[in-house]
Amino acid sequence: MKALNRRKLITASAVLAIVGLASTAIPAQAAEVGVSSTQIKLGMTLPMTGTASLGYNKIPGAAKAYFDYLNANGGINGRKVTLVVKDDRYVPTEAVAKTNELILKDKVMALLAPLGTANVKAVASSVNPARRGVPVLFVNTGFSGFADVKKYPTTYTVLPSYIMEAKIMGEYIKENFAGKKIGLLYQDDDFGTDALAGFKAAGTNFAIKVPYASGSQNAAAAAGWITKFKAAEVDVVILFGVSSATSAMLGVAAQLKYAPQWMLGSVGGDATTIKATGVPAGVLYNAIGFSPVPATTDMKDEYVKFFSDIYAKAVPGSAFDLNVLLGMNTAFMTAQALKAAGANPTRKSLLAAIDSKGATFANSALVPAGYSKTSHVGLTGYWVGKYSPAGDLSPIGGTYVTYTTDSGSGPVVKSTYKRPAMPAKGLPN
Amino acid sequence: MHKAKKESTHLPIFILGGIVLYFLSGLVDELRVYQGATIAVYVIAISSIILLTGYSGQVSLGHGALMAVGAYAAAVLRIEFNLPIIVCFVVAVLAAAFGGALLGAAAARLSGPYLAGTTLALAIGLPSLANQFEVLGGEQGLLFDVGFPPLSLGEEFTQYKWFFWIAALAALISMWVVRNLLNSAYGRAWRAGRGNEVAAQLAGINTARSKVLAFTISAGIAGLAGALLAMTIGTVSPSAFPLALSFSLLTGAVLSGITTLGGVIIGAVVLVAIPEIADVVAHRLGSSESVTTNLPGLIVSGLLILTVLFVPNGPVEQHRARKAKHAARHASSKQEKH
Repeated sequence: MKALNRRKLITASAVLAIVGLASTAIPAQAAEVGVSSTQIKLGMTLPMTGTASLGYNKIPGAAKAYFDYLNANGGINGRKVTLVVKDDRYVPTEAVAKTNELILKDKVMALLAPLGTANVKAVASSVNPARRGVPVLFVNTGFSGFADVKKYPTTYTVLPSYIMEAKIMGEYIKENFAGKKIGLLYQDDDFGTDALAGFKAAGTNFAIKVPYASGSQNAAAAAGWITKFKAAEVDVVILFGVSSATSAMLGVAAQLKYAPQWMLGSVGGDATTIKATGVPAGVLYNAIGFSPVPATTDMKDEYVKFFSDIYAKAVPGSAFDLNVLLGMNTAFMTAQALKAAGANPTRKSLLAAIDSKGATFANSALVPAGYSKTSHVGLTGYWVGKYSPAGDLSPIGGTYVTYTTDSGSGPVVKSTYKRPAMPAKGLPN
Repeated sequence: MHKAKKESTHLPIFILGGIVLYFLSGLVDELRVYQGATIAVYVIAISSIILLTGYSGQVSLGHGALMAVGAYAAAVLRIEFNLPIIVCFVVAVLAAAFGGALLGAAAARLSGPYLAGTTLALAIGLPSLANQFEVLGGEQGLLFDVGFPPLSLGEEFTQYKWFFWIAALAALISMWVVRNLLNSAYGRAWRAGRGNEVAAQLAGINTARSKVLAFTISAGIAGLAGALLAMTIGTVSPSAFPLALSFSLLTGAVLSGITTLGGVIIGAVVLVAIPEIADVVAHRLGSSESVTTNLPGLIVSGLLILTVLFVPNGPVEQHRARKAKHAARHASSKQEKH
């Protein structure tokens, strides 16, 4: 009796061991890091605390809102998409440390939308996602260099570059403000360098160019800028800086009743962020602005309506602004990339999917994306609009006029791009 | 009477430590190796603060800036002249030491809040100087590539293990130097000056010169830490040396025990481990994103307050004092018996 029991036990454990081995062997064959039979894990680092986090810290919530909706509707081939978010406080050292954690400890499949030029550069150099084969999808910076396929083979940009924006601004000025005196406020670093390169390519002449050092933008500095623009008697002032610079400038201009024709760059042009600093909405009225995605208040737009409905349910009480729209749009594009990467997505198949199909991914942008086997350039243009009396950017006369160009010497052309219709229920097909 | 004892340099202990670290680096995974390299960098940076503040009695809120000087010196040298990495590190030390000597000359005339204010201004202002000179690469910074580990170490040898070896070796050497410096006549002069400047001067110590020297050496060590930090993140940029870095180094020094070099590892480990601990705690509690992101700051601040309240001299010093007290009581009770 005893011997029988023992034999049974031995047989049972042998069977168990074989089953166990087999079951571990099967996923090991097919699975990719961060991809299990039930989930796909992605990671994101960005400033969630500290001064640089203003506005941007809504991006993870926005992306998660879309992924939660996606997961509730079957996920990607039955796998749920999860997003691990880490705070890098906008410090490169932290970005490297957190990205290491994401790749080595959390074992994510890909990195999503890391933010800031210096941070993405530090991560590329130290963590070296390219060497590890880790995709870096849709970086949150307009620095044109990240589209360099040789230098950053696994990195994809999404925002149009600063150079493209300046070129399109230059074209708009040529068409609408010929003969007017133009003034430019720009940040005295690579952000501004890219801008100057773009304006040079567009042949824009400035009556005055006012640089400011990053971190120096405040009300006192803004009063100084206004003095300079007034002395140069400019008609149009371009604010090609970060949100805090735009806010400081417009706030002081409102007090001093200085009202030239304003033109706001997209980086510092989010109305919600500007108004949150106490700038009266009226100052923004009639200012010219640029954006690659539709106006966030345009509820007739199917994407905007869809995204804002999901966001309102997921994060009640939080305003639906440009950061949220871009965050959800990125998540939406990521979902399509994962779906296009096949039944058992791998890092390699994910990269290949964006190369071959990225340019056709449905998304809210009104301009085409430039992904191909030889290009990791994201969106390639902007539409031009005016701020409403309530201070929201809206298309002039109700129709979106879009321009596209590149980061090189290519021309600026009015776009005839037809945006793909939103897939049914906003799910990748 | 005490017997005159020749002060040992404790070289064997440091060599033993090196051997232990060598084997340890082969046992842990890549993330821990990377964190180990970061800890080694913090050990060096915090020891420079302990030398300056704990021993020579000068406060610096600007060590992040001195680290930046070292980092930029090393990176520019590497990029422009492609010099061997060891030379880059040596020049980083010299450049930061030179900056420290200049700052120290001004600092010797200042004390207390005035000195803190001056160094604070440096921490805010200096890194953004990089935006003014093209050679320094502006806001996006410069690449700093120390190169791949030698092939003789094998195919499996990772970049981070290489970083760890370099950083750990640098930490051991600089700790050994600092320890022996603090136990030398210079160290005694610094402590005398910190305790009572007038008394130190009466004893024949040139306190002004001694203070400048402390600043110079401390800055040199900070420069080394800066170059190593730049190595671990592969780039140098102004945003890598924010004001928060200077503050967290000071926090690390206070947690270590500002007057005890031996505790330096405590501060360094705490600075690296806190975010991870906070992460685990936040996940255990299943709390919201805003809690997760703010918890590390809260824990560090809480620890800082508790340290200042309960162990103002740091855990190591506290332990030592308690032992000494215990020994004294023991000795006195023995005497009573006789």
